[in-house]
Amino acid sequence: MITKDALWIVAEFEGTRIAPVTLQLLTKARAIANGRTVAAVLLETPAQTGEETLAQYGPDEIIVAQDEAFQNASDRTQAEQLTALIKANQPNTILFGATPEGRSLAPRVQDQLETGLTADCLDFYYEQDLLVAVKPSYGDNVMCEIVCPDRRPQMASVRPNTFAAKKATGAARIERVDATAAADSACVMQKTAVKIAATTSLSGARKIIALGRGANKDAVIEGVRKVADKLGASVGVSRPLTDRPDFTAEQQIGQSGVTVSPDLILNLGISGAVQYQVGMSSSKLVISVNRDSKAPIMVQSDYVWTGDAAALVAALQDLL
Amino acid sequence: MKIVVCIKQVPGSNRVSFDPITHNLVREGMAGRMNPFDENAIEAAVRLREQVGGEVVLLSMGPDATKETLHDGMAMGADSAYLLSSRAFAGSDTLATGYILAQAIRKIGAIDLILFGRQAVDADTGQVGPIVATELDLPQATFAEKIQPLDAQHVVVNRDLGAVTQTVQLTLPAVITVRAEANQPRYESPVAIQQSLTKPLTTWTDQDLTLDASRIGQAGSPTIVRKVYAPEPTTRAAKPLPQDPKEAAKALLDILQAQGLL
Ligand SMILES: Cc1cc2nc3c(=O)[nH]c(=O)nc-3n(C[C@H](O)[C@H](O)[C@H](O)COP(=O)(O)OP(=O)(O)OC[C@H]3O[C@@H](n4cnc5c(N)ncnc54)[C@H](O)[C@@H]3O)c2cc1C
Ligand SMILES: Cc1cc2nc3c(=O)[nH]c(=O)nc-3n(C[C@H](O)[C@H](O)[C@H](O)COP(=O)(O)OP(=O)(O)OC[C@H]3O[C@@H](n4cnc5c(N)ncnc54)[C@H](O)[C@@H]3O)c2cc1C
Repeated sequence: MITKDALWIVAEFEGTRIAPVTLQLLTKARAIANGRTVAAVLLETPAQTGEETLAQYGPDEIIVAQDEAFQNASDRTQAEQLTALIKANQPNTILFGATPEGRSLAPRVQDQLETGLTADCLDFYYEQDLLVAVKPSYGDNVMCEIVCPDRRPQMASVRPNTFAAKKATGAARIERVDATAAADSACVMQKTAVKIAATTSLSGARKIIALGRGANKDAVIEGVRKVADKLGASVGVSRPLTDRPDFTAEQQIGQSGVTVSPDLILNLGISGAVQYQVGMSSSKLVISVNRDSKAPIMVQSDYVWTGDAAALVAALQDLL
Repeated sequence: MKIVVCIKQVPGSNRVSFDPITHNLVREGMAGRMNPFDENAIEAAVRLREQVGGEVVLLSMGPDATKETLHDGMAMGADSAYLLSSRAFAGSDTLATGYILAQAIRKIGAIDLILFGRQAVDADTGQVGPIVATELDLPQATFAEKIQPLDAQHVVVNRDLGAVTQTVQLTLPAVITVRAEANQPRYESPVAIQQSLTKPLTTWTDQDLTLDASRIGQAGSPTIVRKVYAPEPTTRAAKPLPQDPKEAAKALLDILQAQGLL
């Protein structure tokens, strides 16, 4: 039996694995569920299953619809299947990853259910039965709290890498359901490719050294690459450095780049503009180096060093 | 090919501040402008018309001042425009907006393709395109970076979904949302601006459309923005490391060691 009034996470594949945001949402959902059943809902094919991975992150239930039709399924097909499951089982809350795919599916489901959907949240919590979704607007310059008081389910998409995923013990009940949606002859996938750069990118990195305009020198960057190698860290940048040929938008941290939440981020020569900050504010340990002790990044940091980034990088190289 | 491009007028600037007394949002640069992604959608539509013929129709819901943005769009090459303007539309969230636009598209009729920007830069949801597609039960390709006409019934779209790219073939009519990478919008020439002033711009109110009153404006909007505020900069301890760079580097590595990060 699928539990009614539950909190559902719509699981997503990224290439051949379950998308990290799905696991992040499971961890966060468990933390705020307050007795409510947490369920993952997954559309999969016989050739590619995901319940094993999902089970490691502690949902109470995993609702699985398996069918060949979900191979390269269109947004419409997936949304129709999800809507049918939702209508039959009446969850209270549904969360999607705010990935391009999640942001394409969720509004289709929303429209079929005629309910509210808050986009791209950075936080969410319950006030009794009401989901309060906190989302940025106006290019992350403003935060707003959005609620859906009168209709259910209440829905939100949540920005990837805003929360950390943690494995959890406990056996998930697996509920297998029949697939009912048909393949979509009006939207036929001709080709799909996984972008290598994106999957080896920053978003999953546990340690990051980030470079800003104050570290925009070839010698410093070379030194940082060596230090990063020794520490097992990835190198990220603020937006100005994406103008360099050796960095691309995929390495950019921030609102118009990637959001990261590593265990460690070391910021070198970054001022800490709000658009940068939203991309890294959930990092566990933040250490920043800036020659201006009043740069905004400093109060966003656990440890700070005021001085020339080049000098600190050189000293680190000597020690490692 | 008859193409509708939905465009939204957004605030002239995303720089916002808060009135210290009322805590209300104060937008700088109040004059509106076209949502930048919608310029890419218009450009994509005009290029399709240049390739296969047809017409490009603009559609926007908003206050009367939105006419200026519609004229800009016609100066970029669109042939005609519709403005949906009524007090009854005020307070519409994405669900109500999508419903109203869909009803207008039904009334315009005989549409092959409906284009949207990937998202509006003020509210940043990107939900309106897929909602309209669902209202009209049409297939969609979001986050398009390339659109190629195939024949009278089909287009081929390259989608960039971040981790993956897809090439999909859509049967028309269909909905596409357009990324900035799709094209470089053209400049409006003085001649084009002149011509845009004589192109037809029709205003429809709620009375001109077939609408279920419970689906428009505030009544038709399940979401409520209950609070708007400046993001709290997270403040942390900002403990200084020793002044000397060598000692600072050593202290830094000690911290990493202590936290199991080495
Ligand atoms: C819509 C929009 C989206 C945006 N998206 C992003 C985004 O995703 N990511 C992003 O990063 N930015 C983004 N920006 C840009 C953002 O506002 C800032 O301009 C940018 O983050 C600044 O980068 P920075 O800190 O490297 O450079 P600066 O602000 O120029 O700061 C350089 C810092 O380095 C310090 N410094 C200089 N020399 C040294 C030295 N020798 N040693 C140590 N410190 C030194 C300076 O004191 C200064 O604090 C966006 C802007 C807009 C409007
Ligand atoms: C701060 C803030 C936050 C908000 N958050 C949410 C939210 O999370 N959920 C929600 O349901 N509503 C939200 N709203 C309401 C939302 O802004 C309106 O419903 C708006 O009319 C459409 O949504 P959008 O701006 O996100 O457009 P998007 O869905 O981002 O726009 C995508 C595309 O749709 C087309 N389009 C959008 N609006 C129009 C229009 N009026 N006329 C013609 N074409 C258009 C354009 O092609 C545009 O590029 C929010 C509003 C504010 C002020």
